[in-house]
Amino acid sequence: MAHVLRSSDLPALAAGCALFGAGGGGATWPVELMVRRGAPWPVTLHDVADVDPATPCMAVAYSGSPELLGERLPSLDPFGIATDAVERWVGTEIPALCSMEIGGMNGLTTLGAAAGRTLVDADLMGRAFPGFDQVSLLVDGVPGVVLGCATGADGVAVVSQARPADVERLLRTAITTAGGWAGIVLGGFTVGDLARHAVLGAYERVLSVGRGFADARFGEPHDVARAIGGTFLAEGRVQRAPQATPHAGVTSVDLRAVDGAVVRLVARTELLAVLRDGVVVAAAPTVVAAVDAVTREVVQISELTPGRNVFVLALPAPAWWRAADHRLAAVTPSHFGVEGLDLATDPGTDPATDPATDPAGTSTDTREAT
Amino acid sequence: MSDGLTLSALLAHPRNGGTRHVAGGGRTERTWSSAVVETSEDALPPSADSALAVIVSGPPSAPWQLDALLRRVRDRGFTGLVLPDAAAVHESASLADRLGLVLLVVDRPWELARTCWEMLEQRDAMTLSLVRHVAQSIEYHAEDLPDQLRHVAANLGYGVALVDRAGVLVSAGPPLAQGVLEEISFSGWADTVRTDAGACASVRVESPSREGLRLVVHGAALTDAQLAALTTAAEVAMPMVAARLLLDEIAAVSDVSLSSGLLSDFLEQKGAPDPDVERRMRERGWRTSGFHVGFRMLARGRLDPFELVRAVRRELGRLPVDSHVTTRGRGVLGWLTFADRPSPTDLERRIAALRDLHATAGDQFPVATGVGSLQEGGQGMVSTLEEAADAARLAVSRSSSSWFLHIDRLGLEQLLLAWTGNDTFVPTAQALLAPLTAAERATLTAFLDHESQVAATATALGVHRNTVTGRMQRIQEALGIDLDDPEARLAVHLACRAAAPAS
Repeated sequence: MAHVLRSSDLPALAAGCALFGAGGGGATWPVELMVRRGAPWPVTLHDVADVDPATPCMAVAYSGSPELLGERLPSLDPFGIATDAVERWVGTEIPALCSMEIGGMNGLTTLGAAAGRTLVDADLMGRAFPGFDQVSLLVDGVPGVVLGCATGADGVAVVSQARPADVERLLRTAITTAGGWAGIVLGGFTVGDLARHAVLGAYERVLSVGRGFADARFGEPHDVARAIGGTFLAEGRVQRAPQATPHAGVTSVDLRAVDGAVVRLVARTELLAVLRDGVVVAAAPTVVAAVDAVTREVVQISELTPGRNVFVLALPAPAWWRAADHRLAAVTPSHFGVEGLDLATDPGTDPATDPATDPAGTSTDTREAT
Repeated sequence: MSDGLTLSALLAHPRNGGTRHVAGGGRTERTWSSAVVETSEDALPPSADSALAVIVSGPPSAPWQLDALLRRVRDRGFTGLVLPDAAAVHESASLADRLGLVLLVVDRPWELARTCWEMLEQRDAMTLSLVRHVAQSIEYHAEDLPDQLRHVAANLGYGVALVDRAGVLVSAGPPLAQGVLEEISFSGWADTVRTDAGACASVRVESPSREGLRLVVHGAALTDAQLAALTTAAEVAMPMVAARLLLDEIAAVSDVSLSSGLLSDFLEQKGAPDPDVERRMRERGWRTSGFHVGFRMLARGRLDPFELVRAVRRELGRLPVDSHVTTRGRGVLGWLTFADRPSPTDLERRIAALRDLHATAGDQFPVATGVGSLQEGGQGMVSTLEEAADAARLAVSRSSSSWFLHIDRLGLEQLLLAWTGNDTFVPTAQALLAPLTAAERATLTAFLDHESQVAATATALGVHRNTVTGRMQRIQEALGIDLDDPEARLAVHLACRAAAPAS
């Protein structure tokens, strides 16, 4: 069944993408401005099952520093060179397109590249993740996957058949060469591959979450959580700016919850885990999002400034990640070198870790999370 | 009363391995009935009741791991956790507050472990260790009692003080809180006190020469077990303190008799000491060069010159001036020495200080004090001391000047008195003053002495000023003399002096 995305859906879609950005993935507004006029509205969204499985498919994403992307704006065809290189490598034109990272700005990026291609509702992450080694096709080891990356000044790098960790390492170098961010194109797979090796219906879910958020946005935080199908974890005030920890690249943000609880957010480029009174209540791949308690905007990690009041929500991880151990192993905190934070389930699904049952036993808040 | 290990006692303990409070527990006291010391968290028992956990291995480095550790330890029932100090521990302070878990850091965990063991399990070991520390302090040479108490305080790690009802006599280590001192009972043999300001154990000092003394060992916070152990330590230290008191006293007496003998030798040699006396004076820090003001305190009744010299020395020690004093006859003889000639105001201030000294000594001893004039060199020192002695002899009969005379002030007066004190003047003077009663004579004398000031006269006589005014009116009527006339006034003043009962 095909859906049609209209430009009027863009704010809800952007909000959904921002929530699935898990505090990272880049702010959505620059790309939202780009695709408002750059996307071929209305955009038709096809289910994977409705497209010929043999159709070659590709995915696009900006990778690198979102801050730099805001300073050095993309050209009108940021993926052209990389697309040409990948098509040349696979030896055929690629008529289908899916998204690579639905969380954050890249959920919208794909729409800007949809002109002339069949947009398939599937995503290779189902949320935002920091690296290419969390791309579903690479995690599952789908053969023939090739990635192209513009390296600046008309240069291009193509990586093929490498191990996920190597892809990550090689492309980071290419992105640095390109000047901090680059357009990445991933090809060498078919729509049929997506059926088993991607998160299906990602746009549909993001849009529904975004619409739920838009409807309940200025309501009670618990109602916001319920409206997006997530769990309310905490509401509180940021005590200190993100603090470096002994783990490289891992930061920690202290919140003092309104009910007195001590909440710690552990983050890499995305929010990895939430501890409430010393107990882990949510951990990747569960999507943890922070929302400003006043403006109700989805907050990036860098925006968790001292004194800001935020509430923290959890969205269940795409089921695809929990469907196999090797997939889960690629996205839990311990994969990122952060020990002691792994959690077997999403919050709200396991009574033992239900954040609504206050661990310190002092909370007056007894509402059930849905 | 607390039976167990309290947070405040642990923090105040001298051998707690550098334990510091990080967070948790608020301001309320926390008591632990047991302490569990383990190398790692895994070895802690699965459940505990009001227990303190001491983990001696390094804490995890990541703040969330520490958060989780605090939570698990709290969930096991521990109410306190001690970890080796690390930056991450302080990151979790707010969580410790939230969980109500007392979070402490320690520099030397094994020392803390030993202290916990002593305070909770092996109180005899604690007592024994304290007694051993007292014994160790006997090994070292002590100059005097304060030195001796310093040794004891340093070895015990607690403050030590010798007190009587009036306050602290000698102390070593941290000062004894006033609130604690006030609570000490002086009636029994051993006594313990615990207040918010601190706690102490004290025992009576059995000294043949001094009564009402107590030896106090005190700390900011002490548990019952510590108080019991410290009482024993104080009991063991007490005889040493008593013996030291006696030794110090003997040394002081012999020192005073030596200095007294030396001063006699010096005075005999009239300010030109022979080399031997000069050497002995140098050894005592007595300088003949410079300027000197002598003072003499004479007994007006029964007193022990040695006690007096001790009291005077204590007071003189507070003056920022080179001073010496020793016993001589029925009193003490002393002097102030200035390297350069003091300014008149400076000298005035020193004389006032001597007057205060006289007043202070007068509270305890019946003394009359004479002060000499400022004199230079060895000869001068002898003369000012002799002046002081003469003044003191005169002061003995001068209750109106509170038994204090300064020779500079009374020089001229004495001269006049010497002239008027002959056979012709005295009967005339007595006839002049005959109409007056004894009280009126005293009033007149005081009035003239105090420059006709009614208020000063009233103060000197200890009567109301209206009484003085009234008496003066009657006196003027009885004598028929105008006291505003300088000539008449001088005559009457001299008459009062000459006709005064002989001293």
